[in-house]
Amino acid sequence: MKKRNWLIVLLVVLGLLLAACGGSGSTPEAAEPTEAPPKAEPTEAPAEPEPTEAPAESESVPAEGDASGIESIRIAIVMPSTVTDLAWSQAIYDALVRIQEDAGGEDVVEIAFTENMFNVTDAAAAIRDYAADGYDIVIAHGTQYGTSLFEIAPDFPETSFAWGTATDTGKDAGLDNVFAYEARAEQGGYVGGVLAANMSESGVLGVVGPVEAGDAKLYIDGFVAGAKAANPDVTVNVSYTGSFGDTALAAEAANTHIQAGADVLTGSAQQVVGAIGVAKEQGIPWIGTQSDQSSLAPDIVVGSQLYKWDGVLLDIIAKHQAGELGGTAYALTLDNGGLIMDYRDNAPADAVAAAQEAEAGIVAGSIDVIAAMAGEEQMEEGDGAAEMPDIEPVRVAIVMPSTTTDLAWSQSLYDSLVELQDFYGEDVIEIAFTENMFNVTDAAAAIRDYAADGYDLVIAHGAQYGSSLFELAPDFPETSFAWGTTTDTGESEGVTNVFAYEPRLEQGGYVSGVLAAHLTESGIIGVIGPVDAGDAKLHVDGFVAGVKDADPEVQVNVSFTGSFGDTALAAEAANTHIAAGADVLTGSAQQVVGAIGVAKDAGIPWLGVQADQTPLAPDTVVATVLYDWQPTLLEMITSLQAGEYGGKVLQLTLENGGQKMIYADSLPEDAVAAAQAAEAGIIDGSIEIVAEPRN
Amino acid sequence: MNENLTILAIVLGILHSGIRLATPYLYASLGEMFGQRSGVLNLGVEGIMLLGAFFGFFATFQTGNPWLGFLAAMVVGALMGLLMAFISVTLKAEQGISGIGLYLFGLGASSLLFKTMLGTVEGVSGFAPLNFCLSSVGIDSSFCLSQVPIAGDIVFSHSVMTYIAYALVPISAWVLGRTTIGLKIKAVGQNPEAADSLGVSVDRTRYMTVTFGGLMAGIAGASLSISLLNIFQENMTNGLGFIAVALVYFGGWSPWGVLVGALLFSTVNALQLWAQVLGLNIPSDVAVMLPYLMTILALALPIRRAAQPAALTRPFTRGEN
Repeated sequence: MKKRNWLIVLLVVLGLLLAACGGSGSTPEAAEPTEAPPKAEPTEAPAEPEPTEAPAESESVPAEGDASGIESIRIAIVMPSTVTDLAWSQAIYDALVRIQEDAGGEDVVEIAFTENMFNVTDAAAAIRDYAADGYDIVIAHGTQYGTSLFEIAPDFPETSFAWGTATDTGKDAGLDNVFAYEARAEQGGYVGGVLAANMSESGVLGVVGPVEAGDAKLYIDGFVAGAKAANPDVTVNVSYTGSFGDTALAAEAANTHIQAGADVLTGSAQQVVGAIGVAKEQGIPWIGTQSDQSSLAPDIVVGSQLYKWDGVLLDIIAKHQAGELGGTAYALTLDNGGLIMDYRDNAPADAVAAAQEAEAGIVAGSIDVIAAMAGEEQMEEGDGAAEMPDIEPVRVAIVMPSTTTDLAWSQSLYDSLVELQDFYGEDVIEIAFTENMFNVTDAAAAIRDYAADGYDLVIAHGAQYGSSLFELAPDFPETSFAWGTTTDTGESEGVTNVFAYEPRLEQGGYVSGVLAAHLTESGIIGVIGPVDAGDAKLHVDGFVAGVKDADPEVQVNVSFTGSFGDTALAAEAANTHIAAGADVLTGSAQQVVGAIGVAKDAGIPWLGVQADQTPLAPDTVVATVLYDWQPTLLEMITSLQAGEYGGKVLQLTLENGGQKMIYADSLPEDAVAAAQAAEAGIIDGSIEIVAEPRN
Repeated sequence: MNENLTILAIVLGILHSGIRLATPYLYASLGEMFGQRSGVLNLGVEGIMLLGAFFGFFATFQTGNPWLGFLAAMVVGALMGLLMAFISVTLKAEQGISGIGLYLFGLGASSLLFKTMLGTVEGVSGFAPLNFCLSSVGIDSSFCLSQVPIAGDIVFSHSVMTYIAYALVPISAWVLGRTTIGLKIKAVGQNPEAADSLGVSVDRTRYMTVTFGGLMAGIAGASLSISLLNIFQENMTNGLGFIAVALVYFGGWSPWGVLVGALLFSTVNALQLWAQVLGLNIPSDVAVMLPYLMTILALALPIRRAAQPAALTRPFTRGEN
């Protein structure tokens, strides 16, 4: 019997491994030497690139070039998908073939390629093989190949390498034989957005994205900005499938968008063939990008942004043959002809005219897409993004009691951190996290591990972790720790490197209480709390006070489930409240997804807190007190980089933007006005929130 | 105290909630009971439930047909049960530890699958309450059995998964008490050597019960994700599977005992929710303790209950003694 223990151990290890994968599957890694997409200072119009890392000078080259002068050359390309993917890989392959034809055929330009290199290790082997085989130019056609490329390039000083999407030619790393290229897909995205917004009758557009990174993200952000610029009322639903090649999922995403009312669709990466199929079946116009996708569905593809790599490739070839093996970073733009807008006859003339106008504006510089995108983000994120301080690279780890998808406490912090990372780039903010640390001993081990691993800021995201934190913080005097909900930084115990944070949720709770009092007709409101402590308690106290101040007659029934994660019990609590006559519900912690489902089925409005719960039930969640942790996180990061490792108590309030109220359009105007008045009153101090005894 | 609500309405509400809340416990506990009666303790119920919940949800999400979700949860649960049987019966591993391993596997795998395949919490239309309307059987009337006073609300407004759960209680009792299979299961759990000497295959019996237990745990998970809640969230079972294991002990390894335990636990849970809603002046911490306190009290009462299967957690090797 004892003999078999190895199998148990194996199973446990496998389980833990999967748990770890589950936890970090979406952890953005900062290993690739990619560069953050250039972002503008949102307030000022000029599109100055991010100051965090000066990008290499991008060279503009005409898309059309002369291939006649090419001497015999051998070019190899390693790509993540296939040369027939109708997208990323096909665009560059087609350009190479065109050059080959112009230059005089296979005798002059020899092309070799390897497809489907989704595995980076295999790709690295292929790149090395081609270089060793004596190819003159080896193109690694994917951001993910960067690390390997930088390792291989020094071994072949006579060979030119190229990679993208990237702006880093490895000059800082001492490399002189690497070219970098990128497609400024946000430009064509913007034009596509203008086209789509002018075509849409439902006012809803759907975007099927692969992974929120690289040129896909640029394209989609540009698309959203263009659509909003053409029609501020348009709704752009963006969904990422999490994969470049999952056609089935992309098809499903397209179906979903159509069901959500979208009447123009777009998307990127090779996965979109699935989505185009759906669009074709349903007769929904499609806007393409990267390669020409009209062959697949000529009737519904109304326009495309085409990548023309010809100019870049010709310039690389010319430079190589002139003895210049690398060092240049290229960008495809509308201006230099690397990006071409291709409009089809089935696109309405007025929409095309508007799109062409946008195109001209971008080329002339009168439309600043980057600024428009930043403005778009600013609209989403409020004024928090207005003044972003400069920060040094920082490694942040979070230990959390639930998951990054809990639609509540943990997700709100994680989402804010990811937004910061999006802003500063993965090379500035590195994120690690551990989920489901309901066991405090495990959490303490995780916190210690992160600190020992050299993370700069380790956040213990739960009041229950406090005593462990105070025990281990003195062992890592150079590491900042943070925990909450609390106001105790451990100073009385001699701990100097711990921040404390506390969302003053009674404020948002009060505002939504005022709102609820205006919404209820039965005069009964139900609250579903987890345990009567921490920010959940503040929420309930503030909510009850807000209701009573707005209408003393309204009754608030409060119930606690005794658990943060018991969705079944939360659902039952919602049923109980409804049976007791409640016609407005609210509640906190990750358990509430169960309650929201019940509210949705019963057609009862729900007031959310912590994270944005609208994706779950858009018609049910009518208002949200959203935690925006960005100001708090930035305060911690700038403090620790100034040498102050702890000792501060940080609060999330309505005033400092740590809490934001989101109101649905469906709400009655008087109710929103009353809630906004309460917001203003809390901020200017004229409203004092007094916790009332619960009924 | 809310004077608009009659005592009757409150009692109805508690019973209605209690009956519905017991659904996942019933599936998981009944399945686990068979495994334990044959001598195998499976502590991995929670993990199997999570996988069942995920696949049940995912299949429904993809196809729009909750019955396919039901089927998917059964298949995945049975496969997990088969794995547990292989580990505990064939490899004779320590059951407590391998069960925990199975739990961790289920927790991690369901999280990973959720993150890669869904990414965000989504809703799905699962099994709706049946209500037993005459119009659904072709009679031209708007009358539904759920409109019957008192009984209608308590009994006739649940989803089909809840009814199946309750139907399984007498069926389980019949199988265990009146059939040859039931006799074999009990014999294997009480005295595997004796059963073996009489030609009953201990291993085959245990494989059968543990696989069935996994299948039921899979359904239990799906009853959350496609019947009670119609969502999937990571770690959504939240310890429910462990309570289900405890309910088997509570119920004295008998289907009726399990039913009493599940109903007691869920009804007291419903009761404490109502107590809080009605504003009875008890601290919420005490209210949420009530189901557990009641369970402990009930365990302490000197009710005659069947003894624990003598061979529980004991692997069987022929000729060992």
